[in-house]
Amino acid sequence: MSQIQERGSTHVYKVNKISREEMESMVERCVYAHPPFCSAACPLKLDARAFLEAAAAGNFKKALQLYEKIAPFPLVLAMGCEAPCERSCRLGEIGEAVQIRAVEEAAARFGQTQRLGSVFRTRKKKSVAIFGSGLFALFLAGELEKKAYPLSVFCEEADAERFLKSETGFLDEEAFRSELKRLQGMDIQFVFGCAIDRAFIEEKRAAFDVACASPAVREKLFPEAECIPALMYCEDLKLVSGPCSGVLDAAFGAKKAALTVDRLAQNLDPRNARGQEGPVESRLYTDLSEARELTRVPMNGAGCTREEAAREAGRCIRCHCEECLKSCAYLAHYKKHPGLFAREIYNNTQIIMGDHPLNKPMNSCALCGQCTVVCPNGVDMARVCLDARRNMVSTDKMPLAPHEFALLDMLFSNEEAFLSRPQPGFDTCRYVFFPGCQAAAIAPETVKAAYLDLCDRLNGGVALMLGCCGAIGGWAGRTELEEQTRVFLDRELSKLGDPIVIAGCPMCKKELAGHEGLQITGIWDVLLEIGLPGGGHRLERPAALHDSCGARGDEKTQTAIRELAMRLGCELIETDYSGDRSPCCGYGGLAAYANREVAQEMTEKCLARSDAPYITYCMACRDRFARQGRESKHILELIYGTEAGAPPDISEKRYHRLMLKKELLRELWQEETKDMKLDYELNYTEQARRMMDERMILTDDVIAVMDELRKTGACIFDEESGLFIACRRIGNATFWVKFSREGDARYLVHRAWSHRMTVVKREG
Amino acid sequence: MAEKNYYTIDPEGKLTCMRCGVPLIKGKARFLYLDNGFPVELPVCPVCGFVYVPEELALGKVAAVERALEDK
Repeated sequence: MSQIQERGSTHVYKVNKISREEMESMVERCVYAHPPFCSAACPLKLDARAFLEAAAAGNFKKALQLYEKIAPFPLVLAMGCEAPCERSCRLGEIGEAVQIRAVEEAAARFGQTQRLGSVFRTRKKKSVAIFGSGLFALFLAGELEKKAYPLSVFCEEADAERFLKSETGFLDEEAFRSELKRLQGMDIQFVFGCAIDRAFIEEKRAAFDVACASPAVREKLFPEAECIPALMYCEDLKLVSGPCSGVLDAAFGAKKAALTVDRLAQNLDPRNARGQEGPVESRLYTDLSEARELTRVPMNGAGCTREEAAREAGRCIRCHCEECLKSCAYLAHYKKHPGLFAREIYNNTQIIMGDHPLNKPMNSCALCGQCTVVCPNGVDMARVCLDARRNMVSTDKMPLAPHEFALLDMLFSNEEAFLSRPQPGFDTCRYVFFPGCQAAAIAPETVKAAYLDLCDRLNGGVALMLGCCGAIGGWAGRTELEEQTRVFLDRELSKLGDPIVIAGCPMCKKELAGHEGLQITGIWDVLLEIGLPGGGHRLERPAALHDSCGARGDEKTQTAIRELAMRLGCELIETDYSGDRSPCCGYGGLAAYANREVAQEMTEKCLARSDAPYITYCMACRDRFARQGRESKHILELIYGTEAGAPPDISEKRYHRLMLKKELLRELWQEETKDMKLDYELNYTEQARRMMDERMILTDDVIAVMDELRKTGACIFDEESGLFIACRRIGNATFWVKFSREGDARYLVHRAWSHRMTVVKREG
Repeated sequence: MAEKNYYTIDPEGKLTCMRCGVPLIKGKARFLYLDNGFPVELPVCPVCGFVYVPEELALGKVAAVERALEDK
C-alpha cells in the first residue's frame, strides 16, 4: 500500500498560501473586542461594562476605582455628566436604558478612593502652571496631579473652597464637602487671590515648563488667540487651553489638554501619537433576546441606597458578542474569539525556526463552517484553519503525525478497498452510487441494500463506486493529494460513461460537486422521487434530527431528509442549532485525529441538544454518537431496515470495506478475490483490542509484525510478564506487539504500542 | 568525550533475545526523528543488536519528544 512521506526538518519557503491582508480582513470581521455601545459613546472611554458589573456585585470600591480612571473628581463628573452612554444603551431599544450616571454617582458616594498620598509618589521633573478656575481648570488640575507633575494653580478665588465652587453649583453639600476633601488632599500648589492679567501670566509662566489657562482667562486676556480644540492648545501663545461647554466636555477637554501637556513637556509635537480620542463607533453585536430587567429601578440621587444602585447596575446585560463561542466547542475549548485566534494562527504559519504552538489548535477545527453561519459578520474560522494547514503543507512545515492515519485510510479506500463497476449487464450507466467511505466502513449491509434497491428501481443502469471522495486529503490541507484523488475519480467515472453521481453522504456530495462537469444528487433526493422501498421502519420514540455539516447551506438536502423521516413515520424533534446552524459531530476536519479531547467535546455538544435518540444522514455522525452511547441511526438504516449495530473499531472499519467489496464482487459480478489467509492463528485479548483502537494500531499492523517474526525469529522474552515481544517498522512508525504463544502457529496478542522515532544501536 | 545519555534502562537480565539465546544488556542506542538524534541506553542484544523500546518509554518520553519536534 502507498505511504506518505514525512515532512523534512529544513524548512524552505515554497508557496505562501495565506496573506496578511486575508488574515486582517478576517480579524476585522470579528467584533468580540469592540467596546460596548455605552463605552463607545463616552468620550472619556469609561469601561462601563466592568464598572456596572462591579457595582452590581455591590463592590463599589472596585467600581469607584474604575470610575476614577476617567474622573479625577468623581462626584463632579457623575452629577454633571450629560451621559451619552445612556442614550446608546441597547436596553433602551426594548425597554429603559440603564441609569449609568446615577450608578456612577452612587459608586462615588459609597466607594472608597484608592488614591495614594504624595509621600509615595515620585514627581515628574517638568513643572506646569494653570491660570484660572472653573470646571476645565479643576479637571485639568486633577489629571495633571494624577500624572505627578509638580503643579501650581494661580486663581483669583481666595481659597480652595471658592475655587471648587466656581461652576460646580450643581453639587449638594455632602458631595461638595467630599470633593473639597479630595482636592485638598491633592499634591497641588495653590496661589489664591491673584489678579490675573497678561503681564501676570508672562511673569509667572517663565518659572514653568508648560502653561495652561482656563477658557475664561484665555477668552478675556487673549481673545484674538486661535485654539486647536482637538489639542486644547493655542500654538501661537504656547498656552494649553481651549473651548469647552458643560461638565463632560470640560472633563474631555482636560483629558486632551493633559495629553498635550505630556507631549509639550517632552518637547514633542502635540499633534502626534495621541491614539484614538473621544467617542468611537462600535459594531459590536448584542443578543437582546436574553434581556429580562427592562424597567428602571427608581434612584433618588443622594438618597439612593446601595441595594438600589446594585440592582440598577445588575440590569446591564454586559453587551458582548460570543455567538461563535456559544455554539462551537472548538472555540469554547480554546476560549479564544476568532479575531485573536485568526491572528495567532496566521502568525504560526509565518514562523520559520522554532516552535509552532498553534499547530494543534489549527488542526483541531472541524472546518464545518458553523461559526460563519452563527456569526453576525460571517467570520470564517474554517477558512483560516484550512488556509493555515495548506500553508504549512506547502512550506513543508506540517507534521504528518496528526493526519497520517486518516490519510492512509483514504489511500486504503481508494486502493485496496476501491471498487468501481457498472451494473451487471451494462457497459456504461446512467447513474453511479457513491456511498462514501464511512458508510461502507460502518454500515456495509445498508450500502448493499441501498445499491440493490437503486439497481432495481432506476432505469439506465446504476454503477457502484466504493471509495473516498478526497475530502480527507482536503481537510488535511494536502491539496495535491486532493487533486490526485479528483483526477483518479474522474478517470474512473469516465470509464463508467460519466454517469450522474448519487451520493450517499452529504460531505461526498459537497466534495464531488467541485468536479467540473459532474452531475450529482443525493440518494435522499432519489428516494423522495421514486418513493421509499418498503421494509423500512421508524424509530418508536421521537428522535432529534442532526444535520450534517456537509449539508450546511444545502436547504434542499435538509428538507429532503426531514421529508423521508416523516414518510417513515418518525416523529422529529428540532433542536437548537439545527439546519445550517448545526454543529459538527467531531469527525469533520480530521479534528478527531488531531485532538481527541476537542472532538469529544464537539460530540458532547451535539448530544447535549436533546436526550432523544438521534437520526443522522452522515455515517460519521451516526458512528460518533453511537460510540458515545447514544442511540443513533442513519436515515438509510431506517429506510432499508438494516441495523449497523455497535460501532466498529478502526480495524473493523477497514475489514468491513474489504468484505463489502469482496461480497459484492462475488455476488453481483461473479468475481472471486483471493483470500489472504494467515498460515497461523492470531487472537487478541479484549484489552489488546481496546488498546489498539485507542492507539490507532490496526490488526494489519500486528499481522505485519507477526509475519516478520515468523520470517526472522527476532523477538525477545520478558521474564517478568512471561510474554514475548516483537516489532517491525512499517512506514513512518515502529509497531511493537506483546504476545503469548502456543506452539509455532498460535498467538495471543496482549498489548501493542508504537512510536514514530527510529531507534538504532550506536557504537562506542 | 562520551555522549550524554538522555535516558537509561537496565534490563537486569530479565529480557532475553530469542533469536540469539542471550540476555539483553544495557547498551548504547540512538533515537532519530526529523533529523534530530538522542543518545540513550536501552536493552540491546549484544549479538544481533536488537534494541528494545518498552511501552512506557514509547508512550511517555518518546511520544512527548515526538510532539515537541513535530511542532518545531
